[in-house]
Amino acid sequence: MSYFFQLVASGIVVGSIYALSGLGFVLIYKSSRVLNLAHGQFISLGAFITYALTVGVGIPIYISFLLSLVITFLLAMSVERVFLRRLIGEPIISVIMVTIGLMSILNGLIYLTPFGTENFSFPEFLPKTPITMGGVSISWTQLVGVILTVILIAAFSWFFKKSTLGISMRAVSDDQMASMSIGISIPRVFGLAWAAAGFSAAAAGGIIANITGLNFDTLVSFGIIVFPVVILGGLDSIFGAVVAGIILGLIQQFAAGYLDGLWGLFGTADLVPWFILLIILLIKPHGLFGIHEIERV
Amino acid sequence: MAQNRWLATGNFFTSHRQEQRIFFTHLDRLVFICFLVIVFIWPLFIEFGNKTMLVIDNILVAIIAIYGLNLLTGYAGLISIGHAAFVGVGAYTLATFARLLGSSHVLLTHAWPLMILLAGGVGAVIGAFVGLPALRLKHLYLVIATLSFQMIFQWVINFSKFFNQGQTISIGRVFWFAGKVTRDQHYLFWYYITLIFVVVFGFAVRNLLRSRYGRCLVAVRDNDRAADAMGMHPGFTKVYAFALSGFFAGCAGALHAYMWRGVGFESFTLHHSINYLAMAIVGGLGSLMGSFFGPTAIFMLDIEVEHLSEFAKTLFPAALDLATALRPLSFGLVIVLFLMFEPRGIANWWRIARTYLKLWPFRY
Repeated sequence: MSYFFQLVASGIVVGSIYALSGLGFVLIYKSSRVLNLAHGQFISLGAFITYALTVGVGIPIYISFLLSLVITFLLAMSVERVFLRRLIGEPIISVIMVTIGLMSILNGLIYLTPFGTENFSFPEFLPKTPITMGGVSISWTQLVGVILTVILIAAFSWFFKKSTLGISMRAVSDDQMASMSIGISIPRVFGLAWAAAGFSAAAAGGIIANITGLNFDTLVSFGIIVFPVVILGGLDSIFGAVVAGIILGLIQQFAAGYLDGLWGLFGTADLVPWFILLIILLIKPHGLFGIHEIERV
Repeated sequence: MAQNRWLATGNFFTSHRQEQRIFFTHLDRLVFICFLVIVFIWPLFIEFGNKTMLVIDNILVAIIAIYGLNLLTGYAGLISIGHAAFVGVGAYTLATFARLLGSSHVLLTHAWPLMILLAGGVGAVIGAFVGLPALRLKHLYLVIATLSFQMIFQWVINFSKFFNQGQTISIGRVFWFAGKVTRDQHYLFWYYITLIFVVVFGFAVRNLLRSRYGRCLVAVRDNDRAADAMGMHPGFTKVYAFALSGFFAGCAGALHAYMWRGVGFESFTLHHSINYLAMAIVGGLGSLMGSFFGPTAIFMLDIEVEHLSEFAKTLFPAALDLATALRPLSFGLVIVLFLMFEPRGIANWWRIARTYLKLWPFRY
């Protein structure tokens, strides 16, 4: 039974990271209806900037984490300004393809640095001994990661519910024409959405890199796995991303824990999310909490 | 009025039938035939090394794959970021035969044209299956469906013992009328075979596009409600576009497998899907000519990037592997720049050049 609880615990850890990664994706989709395929690259950028500041420059990790959030915030904003601003009003296909190109560009830029090919890991700054409770053990980094994730998601929910900017972003996602007519600047909202997405991606990157180490492929794979998460949760629901992130984290851990080795199956944790994604697309494409505005053909 | 069938300075069409001609003037046809002749006979006069021939063969195989992607993304307006997986389906169809019957079974070595078409058929079936969500969903969600197909494909290949866990599965040399294709004939032989496939499929696509089934794709792309009102079935059309795209991708995959004499997992990753998309965009989405320009341009770019990184290596020996960095960087830049400044791709430059030549020496 403690095996089960161990799986639940690690599922929640992985799931909360998925939720945080999915958050940034949902932010962009919610305001501008763009699928950002370069999300994984932003996640890894956040992680690499944190590492470079901590180890390369020698700033304490708490401050460098915050600095990386700020840097990625600005970076995502300028990406929106340079590449996506002039595509407002273009068909959605070309906007999505621009994000594919962006993903390629960022890949290339990261490969120019040692981070693209080599592995690094953060210096330990938390106690090494894991917390054990009733046979379930969680490391300090995981615990801090989960707590940070909860705080960030709460902050983002507050931002969307209460602050003027958050409300204007929701208004734009609801009806662009109407929000323009009451004086909301749509380009500014799009820019802010990208910036906020970059911010949350960097946060996710910092947390993931502390748990799994800095490996470019692993970090980028978190940007790909957000697709099952956000589809399961509903593309435009922050709450959905959180719930779906934790559900998928649990399912992945259970698959890895119970299915691997059965019938000669291996690596099911990588496969299960995509099957769930296909099933969800077939039977309930708006996900668990998305709004029901899918156009049927 | 008697028309000049050699040179046309304007639009003299009097019927829809005339407008749907492949060649508007005899001159067009003559130029095309001359071009075909040149393409078929140049290897008799010029001899390239294996490395160059490999690149040329690769371009031709990519052209077939891009026919499929162009039909899907350009004409039917459905983005696919799993095209390399469809190509992989074709290649792994051959690999399945190689694993079951041995790599030099008669079926693989003698009945290869059949095998290539069979691989196309399997690709079409899988394509239609992946396109099934298209019965209910619009493009945003279809992008994700193709992405998940790519991921599932990678998983299946990587984790199944049957497919050698992604390691190369070799495929034997083929036979033709003059016996076994030897090592030094290999690339030339596949140059001709792939070229024949390119020409035949090119005509097939061109003819498809001027039939009702081709116009149906464009109609559904432009406005699916209007298409529905005109009596087409948008969902079915999309599934059918996926099947067509899968067919071309499957054939390309089989040719790729024969040409490399083996099937390995590294040729069909997400990265390659993006390359295919880059080829389609750079060539020009929604134009047949684009299918030729795109792969050529991207492969040229690839070679240039390799040269550049080798040159850089002589300058700074410390820069270990610039090519891995410069390749995605340049591809991404090319995609983004083309989308921002020339969304109609190189095919548009071709169109401009043609109109200019047609009216020369007059400006318009």
